[in-house]
Amino acid sequence: MGVTTRAGRGDPAWTGPEHVPMGPDELLRQVARGDEQAFRSLYSMIAPRVYGLARRVLRDPAQAEEVAQEALVEVWRTAARFDSAKGSATSWVLTIAHRRAVDRVRSAQAGAERERRVAAASGQTPYDDVVEEVTASLEQQQVRRCLQGLTDLQREAITLAYYSGFTYREVAEKLDTALPTIKTRMRDGLIRLRDCLGVEVSPAPAGPGSVRR
Amino acid sequence: MSQPTEIHSLAGAFALDALSEFERAAFVRHVAECSACEFEVSELRETASRLGDLAWEAPPARLRDAVFAEVARTRQVPVGRAPVEPREVKAVTRWRRWTAAAVAAGVVALGGIATVWVVQEQRVGDVRAQADQLRRDQARIAAVLAAGDVKINSGTVPGGGNMTVAISRGLDDGVIMLDGLRSPGADNAYELWLVTAGGPTSVGVLDPGTGQGTALLDSIGSASAVAVSREKAGGSTTGTPTVVVSTVAL
Repeated sequence: MGVTTRAGRGDPAWTGPEHVPMGPDELLRQVARGDEQAFRSLYSMIAPRVYGLARRVLRDPAQAEEVAQEALVEVWRTAARFDSAKGSATSWVLTIAHRRAVDRVRSAQAGAERERRVAAASGQTPYDDVVEEVTASLEQQQVRRCLQGLTDLQREAITLAYYSGFTYREVAEKLDTALPTIKTRMRDGLIRLRDCLGVEVSPAPAGPGSVRR
Repeated sequence: MSQPTEIHSLAGAFALDALSEFERAAFVRHVAECSACEFEVSELRETASRLGDLAWEAPPARLRDAVFAEVARTRQVPVGRAPVEPREVKAVTRWRRWTAAAVAAGVVALGGIATVWVVQEQRVGDVRAQADQLRRDQARIAAVLAAGDVKINSGTVPGGGNMTVAISRGLDDGVIMLDGLRSPGADNAYELWLVTAGGPTSVGVLDPGTGQGTALLDSIGSASAVAVSREKAGGSTTGTPTVVVSTVAL
């Protein structure tokens, strides 16, 4: 990967997994067994992404906060449904959050919808106005780089849908492009992103409850 | 909408939550009858979620209190619903995929297939271990950045680029990020240091020639600064920095 440096010489940061806190997958499995402490740890890891994503889609901070709260409580409530064979815990959580945010933005159609369309149509590529700060971790840089590797149409179709919550029909309308083209670009764009990011969903190596490695 | 192939072309829109309720329901039915599609959909969903990485934003502190309060009075759905069966289905799907690849490559002898299987298993294992490591690092970085007492200091590096350090004294954890530094040359590498009253301690060496990277600090203790130095590839052999390029106070 070459992204995170690895120190030699017995530096305590690298002496072994016993110093490493549990990752989201293991935490979520513990949450499923009713472990509130595990939920608190999981919260610290994922809340900024859940809230940030809701904020991105809904734009309004108060609504984003509500949706983030609903989504995070849903994570607690339905943790037993997480299946690591279908993807990572982080993705599972973000899928819940995204779905809720999109549902909210669509149900709030009427006046707000018109504003949102205007705002989104004002020329900015959606992912560009994401605040640049120290959180520009390497994973983010990788996502940005991979987004740049898409065609303009693939990128616009994907970001309009994901970050603004438009349906593919609305995206087709906005981009003045035929419906079949848009759905194809969304699919082949995501496939290209998947390959660029090296995303792979594979069954857990040794059955349910198994730990990494 | 009724043609199987046509509906399958909605996999991308589905993964992006860009379908109407009606189409969504139709698509979910379709996937339930098509295990190969289910695999693709899982991967596209996972991919779409990675877009969420770019939306990172620290939530207001009251969200934490509100969520924990609600969690304390919310009952969970019981464990033990259908985790086993889908996993078996998935394993078969994956196996088929590999077998198909082996056949396509002309490896049809039984021994050949077995070899491909082992090699693939090995490779997948390696990649998974790397990905796990990356995810654990990422989770730690996220925990530091989300900590209530996170303190972030940043400095420009002469010659270009930035060094940023985020620490949480509460977690006794931190992260140093280097971004946009001029390449130190193919045979050289940047090394990161934690500076305490007792002197500098190495916390990581970047890959040779690289001007960006991240190092995690396992313990901050009484450290007063972090520093970056230029070294021969592989890092300083003396245990102290050779050419200090920049320092940032904590």
